[in-house]
Formats: sequence, structure tokens, C-alpha cells
Amino acid sequence: MPGRRAARPCRRRGISQVNTRPRSLASRLVIAAILWIAAALAIGGLLISALFRDSVERNFDTRLTVHVDSLIAVSRYDDSGRLILSRTLPEPRFDLPYSGWYWQISDQRGAALVRSRSLWDQTLDISAPGEQGGMRTEELPGPDGAMLRVRFIDVTLPEMPPDAPPVRFAVAADRRELKDELRPFNLALLWSMGALGLGLAAAVAIQVRFGLQPLRRVRIALADIRGGRTERMEGDWPSEVQPLVSELDSLLEHNAAVLDRARTHVGNLAHALKTPLAVLGNEASRSRGPRADAIDRQVVTMRRWVDHYLSRARAAATGAVLGARTPVAPVIGDLKRTLERIHADRSVEIVAQGEDGSAAFRGEREDLEEMIGNLLDNACKWAASRVTVSTAHKDGQLVVTIDDDGAGLPASQHGEAIGRGRRLDETSPGSGLGLAIVSEIAGLYGGELQLDESPMGGLRAELTLPLAAEPD
Amino acid sequence: MRLLVVEDDPDLAGQLAEALREAGYAVDVTRDGEEAEFLGDTEPYDAVVLDLGLPNVDGMTILERWREGGRTMPVLILTARDRWSDKVAGIDAGADDYLAKPFRVEELLARLRALIRRTGGLASPVIEIGPVSIDTRSSRVTRDGTPVKLTGQEYRLLAYLAHNLGKVLSRTELTEHLYDQDFDLDSNTIEVFVGRLRRKLGAEAIETVRGLGYRMVRPEDADL
Repeated sequence: MPGRRAARPCRRRGISQVNTRPRSLASRLVIAAILWIAAALAIGGLLISALFRDSVERNFDTRLTVHVDSLIAVSRYDDSGRLILSRTLPEPRFDLPYSGWYWQISDQRGAALVRSRSLWDQTLDISAPGEQGGMRTEELPGPDGAMLRVRFIDVTLPEMPPDAPPVRFAVAADRRELKDELRPFNLALLWSMGALGLGLAAAVAIQVRFGLQPLRRVRIALADIRGGRTERMEGDWPSEVQPLVSELDSLLEHNAAVLDRARTHVGNLAHALKTPLAVLGNEASRSRGPRADAIDRQVVTMRRWVDHYLSRARAAATGAVLGARTPVAPVIGDLKRTLERIHADRSVEIVAQGEDGSAAFRGEREDLEEMIGNLLDNACKWAASRVTVSTAHKDGQLVVTIDDDGAGLPASQHGEAIGRGRRLDETSPGSGLGLAIVSEIAGLYGGELQLDESPMGGLRAELTLPLAAEPD
Repeated sequence: MRLLVVEDDPDLAGQLAEALREAGYAVDVTRDGEEAEFLGDTEPYDAVVLDLGLPNVDGMTILERWREGGRTMPVLILTARDRWSDKVAGIDAGADDYLAKPFRVEELLARLRALIRRTGGLASPVIEIGPVSIDTRSSRVTRDGTPVKLTGQEYRLLAYLAHNLGKVLSRTELTEHLYDQDFDLDSNTIEVFVGRLRRKLGAEAIETVRGLGYRMVRPEDADL
């Protein structure tokens, strides 16, 4: 659909307003859905990430707290009043220089009393003011340029003199450890959210496509109407589309009615003009002189225009008719009866040949009558005694061939005879125009009229027309 | 020959009547469908020129009613509707010919001549009866190849007798066919014209059937 749209000129072009709105309903829906999916996933992802980070931090802090507790547990004053550890902490990384895990026991001034081996020549500079009882957390730069998370508590050990200031027990760990733990999770979270987003977008696209299916059907139905394959949209439509379809159907009906009225008016006008034209023409032909001649010429011209537009108005109705199927044999029968009566004084015999009875024309009866009637009439005017009309199938087409045994027409004039409004022989009443109309009607049905020399000596007119399918 | 012209356009009706009278026909004109039907049913016309679009009753219906009622006079349909479906319908309703408007009066005359001739069972436009030859196209009459000058009335009487070759025609019948409705019937007129024709064409040209009327016969059929 977008491709088709691109091919059409954008109606908004030239209007100064900038058109940034998506031009397709589907892309509008999909883009809107993608926007909210992306927003929802982003917010959800951030929330999950924050929750996880929180949990990991708490976990980290718990580990630090355990170490602080252990540190307090193993600390005591020796006989000389120095603070010592009664045994080493179980964590080996405290002994590894710059391992990222450190502890330190410091006095109120911040001077380190004891510290882990891993601190090597550094100290943790925890400058927070002393505060009894609570375990606190701080972040500060450590050795090796690392950022440390420090958990510390100020404690007064039982063996210390009661008025002695509390001692600060601190355990620190490199924040990078926290980050290392968060990064794979966040990465996995990002990937899964991305995948979920893509999946949802695809689902939305499919849903939109499915949801807009009726619109596509509307388009196909309209194309069918334009192509003459169906007359109305009708059928089973979703309740949202049904009013649109009903409106379109009414519009089409209204249009057809208007067209029909207009065509009828053209026809009525043309027919109404014929009697005055007959009167004028006859009056002119009864007088003599240049004025009468001028009137006569104008009457002839007017008559041609009337015939031309009348045949055009009729022909315009052609092709709009659906599923029309006209068996050829009855049409030929009717015309044969009529023409034999009209040409009774010329005693021309019309012989119908090769009819299998089933051959049918895909079109309206009136048009077929008009074509075969004009050709047969023409043949009867020129025939010496015999006119044949035969019907055949050829390459899925209907071929009606009309031969006469008259004088025929030189091959060089065949093309001209089919040309519009040319009268080859002014003495034969209305010959040229009849063939031109036949050619025009055949053309509207995608068929053609060809003239040739007849094996009977006269003219052969071969009419190729669309063949109607067998009725069900 | 007496014709009925049924045409609702007064100008065209007048034009047709004038042209047909000039051509030697007795012509009745009506513009109304009901009147046309009545006239066709009651008057002995030799041909009818019938327009289809008429007030009150349309031409096709009139034609069908005439045919159902056993009226057999030749009818030429004159109409603006020139589709073949219209022509087929017209012929099937009982018309003998179909002429689409606009048309030339000459063409209408030619068609009518042919129609009347056909009804009389004559194949050629030139009717030969013994030494007398009548060309219906040009209204020219010869006797033994020599042109004979006839007045309009004389020609009409001769043509009517010739078209009804072998048939005995009463004076009343002849008057009905040779004069239109408005003519005041005087049976002696026919006798006068028959006498003049006999003088110009020879006494044997028109036979008197005592008590019945007149007829023309070919010499070879005279015994019948």
C-alpha cells in the first residue's frame, strides 16, 4: 500500500503546512504502538535495574556488615593496651595488597590503630563525625584510584576504660565489585527488553495488518467495481466498515442513476432533434438556391453530430454491464426476420451458418444487435441476392463473419470505410457511419471489426468479440 | 392510392402530406393516436406512415391492435428511435418497413412505392399490362412505347387499378382509395376518368364488369 500511495501525487503538496504525520493508517498505528512499547519497556527496565541494584547493594552492605561484626568480635586490647586482633579474619583478600577489600580500626581523630594488610601503606580516611550506635555507610576514594564503599561503626569495647572514646571499625570494598555484578544483569536486561520490544512491535504490526484487512478489502472491492467485475460492494463487513460500505454503495447507486439520467437526457435530446431536422432538411431540399443548399449542408452536419453523440452516449453505457451474456443465434434470427422484411423488394436471402446455438457474446444484447444489425443491413444493401452470417469460436473469442455477393469494396478503402462518419458512397443511404459505429462499439468491448474480400465476391466483415462463458 | 399519415409534429405532418399529394396519393393526416387507430380500422388505406411517439396511444400499440384486428395494409414506421432492437420490435409488431428520422422525403416515397408494389404482388417498379407500361418511380405511362400524357387523377386511377391487377374494383372502392376523407363522393367522377383513360390507352385497357365495377387484366390472363 505505501508503494501505491507514493505513486500518486500527494494532494497536500503545495500547502504550506508541513506534513509530518504518517500517511498510512497502518504506519500511524504501528509507530504509535512502538512509541508506547518503547516507553513502557524503558521505564520497566529502569525500574527492574534499580530494584536489582538496590538488592545487590543491600547484599554488598550485608557482607560488609558481617565483616565489621567479625572485626569487632576478634578485636581486643592486649596487655600493653594496644588494640590487636585475636585471630585473622577468614577473608583472604584482606591480606592481599590492594585487593579491593580492606578493614581499618581507627580512633576518633581518624588515625588508624590497626588496618588490614591489603591496605598496605594507605589508610582509609573516614572523616565522618563520631556517632554512637549506628552502622553507617560512606563512599570514598581508596588506593589504586578505586572508589570504595565503606561500612563503619563506632564502638566502645568492653575492656576499654569507660571514659575512653569509642573506636571506629570500618570495612571497605571496591565498588567495582558491585558494578561487576550489576553489569551482566543490566546487559541481559537490555537484551531481553529489546527482544520483548521487537516481539511486541511485530505483534502490533501483525495485529494492525489484520485489523485493517477490511480496508484492503474495501479497496479491492472498489477496484472490482471500477473494473466492472462487480456492481455493489455488499457482503460481510465489520461493523466499523459497514457504514462506509453502505455509504459507498449508495453513492455508487446515486452516481449510476445520475449517469443514467444524463444519458437518457442526451438520448431524448438527440431524438427530439431528429423530427425538426427532418422537417428542415426536407424544406431545404424542396427549395432551390444557395440558401437552401447552405441549410441542407447544416442539416447534414447536425444530423451527423446527433448520430455521433447518440452513439457515444449509448456506447458509454457499454462495459459497465456485468455478467451480461447474449446468445448470438436469437439475435441473428431477429435481425434476419427484420432485414428480410425491410429489404423485401430486393429479395436478398440471409443465410445463417455454423451456429452451434451455444455461442454467446459477453455484453449487452442491444450492442450486439447494433453491430450485427448494421453489418447485415450494409450487406443487404450491397448484396446481389445472398448474404451469409456465420458464428464461430476462435482462440477464445467470438467471431461473427458476414459475407455478401455484391460488388465489394477495393481493399484500399477498407480502412476508410471503418473510419468515423465518412461516407464512401453518398448514393447509398448512410453506409459509412454504420460501419464506424460498429467498429467503435466493438472497440469498447475490446473487440474489432475487419473488412476483407469475401469468397462470395462481395465484402466480408469480420467482427471479433469477447466470448461469454458457459452459464453455470 | 390512399395513405394515412400518423405524425404528431404538425410541420412534418404537413410536409409529408404535401409531398405525398404531389406524388399522387390521397392522404389523410392525423396527429392523434386514438384517431389514427379508428381511421386505420375503418378506412381502406393502401399504406400507413406511422410515427411511434404519439399522444394518447403510442404507435406500436396501434399497430399491434390493427394486426390483431386483421388489418393487413402495409405500415411504414417513421421514428427517431433507430436502434436495431427498436426496428426488430417494430417489424415484429407487424410493420413492413422502418424509416429512421431524419429522412429524405424522396427516400420515404421510394420506400412507400416499393411497399405498395410488394403488397400488390408486383416485383418490378415498372408494371406492364399488354401494350401499357407504368413506371411507378417516375409516374410515366407509355402505350406501345409511346409516352401518354395523363392528369394526376387519371394516373392515380390507373396506378390503383394496375396495383390490383385482375381484381374487380367497385366505384365506391375506387373513390375510397383515390380520394381522402374530405372529398365529397360523386360516383360519376370515376366513370368520367375511366372513359378518359380508355380513350388514351385503348378501350380494352380497362374492363367493365357489369354491376360490380372495373378491373385491369393482362391479355394473357383475360380468360380467367
